[in-house]
Amino acid sequence: MTVPLIQIIILAGIIFSLGLICTLVWRSNVIMLLVGIEIMLNGAMLVFVGGSYRWGAPDGQIFALMIIAMTSAEVSLALAMVVYLQRRHKTVNVDDFHELKDQ
Amino acid sequence: MKLYLELIILLPLFGALINALCGRHLPRRLSEWLACAAIGGSFAAALAAFSSYSSPVRIEIASWLADFDFSAPLALYLDPLSLSLTLMITFVCGLIHLYSVAYMAEDPCYVRYFALLNLFVAAMLLLVLAENLPLLYMGWEGVGFCSYALIGFWYKEVKNADAGRKAFIVTRVGDVAFGIAIVWLFMLCSTESIVDLNSMGGSIPPWKLTAIGLLLLFGAAGKSAQAPLMVWLPDAMAGPTPVSAQIHAATMVTAGVYLLMRLFPLICLSPTVLAAIAITGTLTALYGASCALVQRDLKRVLAYSTISQIGFMMLGVGAGGITAATFHLLIHAFFKALLFLAAGCVITAMHHEQDIYRMGGLRKTAPLTFYGFLAGALCLAGFPLTGGFFSKDGILTAVWEQGGTLYSALYTIGLLTAYITALYTFRTLLLVFGGDCRSEHKTAPVPPLMNFILLPLALVALAGGLLNLPTVFGSGLLSGFLAPLIVGPVIDPSHSTELALLLASSAAAFTGIGLAWLRYGGGRRQLRLNEAEQPLGGLSAFLFHGWYLDDLYALLFIHPFIRLSQFFWKRVDEQVIDGSMDRFAGLLGRWGMLLGSLTCGRVSLYLLSFAAGAALLVGWLAWLMFSAGGG
Repeated sequence: MTVPLIQIIILAGIIFSLGLICTLVWRSNVIMLLVGIEIMLNGAMLVFVGGSYRWGAPDGQIFALMIIAMTSAEVSLALAMVVYLQRRHKTVNVDDFHELKDQ
Repeated sequence: MKLYLELIILLPLFGALINALCGRHLPRRLSEWLACAAIGGSFAAALAAFSSYSSPVRIEIASWLADFDFSAPLALYLDPLSLSLTLMITFVCGLIHLYSVAYMAEDPCYVRYFALLNLFVAAMLLLVLAENLPLLYMGWEGVGFCSYALIGFWYKEVKNADAGRKAFIVTRVGDVAFGIAIVWLFMLCSTESIVDLNSMGGSIPPWKLTAIGLLLLFGAAGKSAQAPLMVWLPDAMAGPTPVSAQIHAATMVTAGVYLLMRLFPLICLSPTVLAAIAITGTLTALYGASCALVQRDLKRVLAYSTISQIGFMMLGVGAGGITAATFHLLIHAFFKALLFLAAGCVITAMHHEQDIYRMGGLRKTAPLTFYGFLAGALCLAGFPLTGGFFSKDGILTAVWEQGGTLYSALYTIGLLTAYITALYTFRTLLLVFGGDCRSEHKTAPVPPLMNFILLPLALVALAGGLLNLPTVFGSGLLSGFLAPLIVGPVIDPSHSTELALLLASSAAAFTGIGLAWLRYGGGRRQLRLNEAEQPLGGLSAFLFHGWYLDDLYALLFIHPFIRLSQFFWKRVDEQVIDGSMDRFAGLLGRWGMLLGSLTCGRVSLYLLSFAAGAALLVGWLAWLMFSAGGG
């Protein structure tokens, strides 16, 4: 049974939106922000895989594999920074980090 | 001949250069005598040129301006007109230089003074001897510069510096017209040589010739202090008295008249221009004489009298009497230099007091000066048989011979002016020299050199009439000498007319002198002195302030100009240009603040705006896609 491309894209869109909403709304914890980003990336990956399947070309799947590798690296770095931030500021609330603003 | 002509100009120029470059390191005596010797040598060269003169010569010293078909070489031209003027200039200026040695004996800035005085003479000689108009213009501007520097010689007083600037700026107004005329003449005739131009008048369209003539007249009016540009001359009294003598007598103010005489064969083709010259001259003569009638400053009286006398010369040119105008120019140079130098003696004797109502009694305390001044005054007043009488009468005769309503009216005004001239001259004479000494101080002794200089000038001025006697008494030497210059019909009045005109002139002079005696002589003098304590009213105030011309020009030109500049400065520059820049910068700054306030440092807000931007982009893409699909 073949799933039509449009349905895959709708599913990916839903996943992406959920990830975005998670990123925007859940501000009290940086880790949840990272989780949101991961979900958005998964949505994007789904589109790649679906597209690859639809046109029978392998490059989309290769990209998905690369994204998996990249996200794992990113998450490990990001989590390390979260630990560092938590030690430094004693908090993980997103809104408390505004050092980049000019004084 | 070439050597003589070169020496005439180069000697004063070298005198000026040496004094300007190393005058400070020379002993004072040497510096002074160098300046005098330069002019003396120039006079000697002029005499030599005169003795070897036979016919007009044109010599080319070097090439100067040359471009395509335009050429203005350093060329000199000697004809009776320039020769007679050269002789007069070197003679009078030589005496003025000698006089200056005594007059400026106390002044520490003598080097600058003598350098400028020499340069002044050199520029004037260049003007007179120039063969082409650009060279003449160079002398013209050189004269203008030197007069500016010498009028403002004592520049530490603002008043004097202002007078210098006024002379410079007012004459510049006329120079613009002259400059336009020079360029226009080249466009029409493809030559700048005065001799060639004078023979090409017929090939110029009449209206253009008239326009050029009027431009030349305006330029001459600037230099010669004629209406409407005469306002600078009374203020030019701020300079040292010998400078005034030089400006009024030999150099500078005669330049305008000389220009018109030089180009007379060209401009005489347009009757309109001649009439304009005559009317300008007459009005200015009347203006100057009427103003001189009420002045209190001795030098201002003489300044207004110069304006008036130059007006007479203009009238002579306008009436076609080139000989008469030249004659009057020469005689006027002698007696005006005499009057100014005598005035310098008076001022020295009176401890630099210049108000004629505070003088008096100088006839007894400074008799030599008195006789000098008397000789000058007799000439200025046109007392019969003096030089001034014959020269002024020559002009009036020329005007009379023109006939017609206009020239008859001008003759009448001229005669009236001659009468006023006699009146104000003897008013001054009687106030300065008559009565008893009013000054509290004893009169200072006048250096003998200064008094001695008056003698040759007085002799020349009084006997100058012999140069050009009316045909009743014989033939005029000068008119014979100047005969090659005359174009058109020779003015040759019948003897009876000439005698009648002579009598009319004498009557005018005698009436004026008589009235002056009636008002200022003897016991009436004290009355006038008492009157002078009262403030001036009515006509007197009007005349005293030079017909309020300064105020009129201030109202017409200076105030509007100042208001215009202030408009451009305050409104246009500060408000529009600066203001728009300021507001634009402010706008950019406010935008920056607005955008800057977005960077609050909250990551969530950044993310939200990021998402919103992405949504906007996606929405736009979707819209494009659907509208493309729909279309």
